[in-house]
Amino acid sequence: MDNNKKIKNIIQALGEHKDSKDAIELLTEIGTNSPDDEIRELTAQTLIRKNTHDSLRVVLISKGKGINDLSARVAMSSINELLALKDKSEAIKILDDTIKMHSEEDVRNTARSVRALMTFSS
Amino acid sequence: MEIGKISLHKTNSAQKVNSQNKASENKLTTNPFGVSFKGNVIQADVFESTKKASANNNGIAEKSKLFASAVVSGINNFNEAFKSRMNSVVSFGKKITKNVFDTIERVGNTEITFDMEGIKNKLFPDRQYSVKNLTNKSVGELKDLWVNLTPQQA
Repeated sequence: MDNNKKIKNIIQALGEHKDSKDAIELLTEIGTNSPDDEIRELTAQTLIRKNTHDSLRVVLISKGKGINDLSARVAMSSINELLALKDKSEAIKILDDTIKMHSEEDVRNTARSVRALMTFSS
Repeated sequence: MEIGKISLHKTNSAQKVNSQNKASENKLTTNPFGVSFKGNVIQADVFESTKKASANNNGIAEKSKLFASAVVSGINNFNEAFKSRMNSVVSFGKKITKNVFDTIERVGNTEITFDMEGIKNKLFPDRQYSVKNLTNKSVGELKDLWVNLTPQQA
């Protein structure tokens, strides 16, 4: 088992971990800042699947993370994961708040685009 | 005349004995110094004990006694050696028994535990990175594992 596979398993275990708060902090601290696109992608997917306010905030409003990642692969993968959520209410609420209040225009535009996709997909 | 064990004979009377007896007596004469007592030459046999035959028997008896003594001494020595060896054997046995009991007591007081998880992880190093095992670890442990893997990844 190579290191990438081990890290993927760690990320997956953090997604299923009982201590959700600490797991999200760890994913945010290390996973979203990883130089590896694959790790960032998997981290964003895991945070979105948790579908909590704290986990979704990281991938929706943080510049350079989740849907705002510079890697198209990571951004598109995050958007697909958001569209696959059964309960999109928390994600839509955060996106609406981001469109209204976020200081960064790029972030607001990205949030607006994703919000439109989610509206059409639901 | 007899003084103690010494018997004296007059030479004159000895000459009166028949010639054969005289010859045999002369053969037994072993008095080269011609010791005389009151004018009578002492014959050789007077120096010899009248219990010469019995002395020989005593000699045999003495030898038997010596032999018996040696045998008894030998037996005693054997007994002593056997006892000392048995003592050392017994003390060795006691020591072994004590050590065995000490070991049993020590084992009885020792808690033996097998770290099966550690053994499994040693045998199957990747096993600890299975999602199931990782989920049971604390977030801190997962962080350490992740940090340890990250430099190698770069």
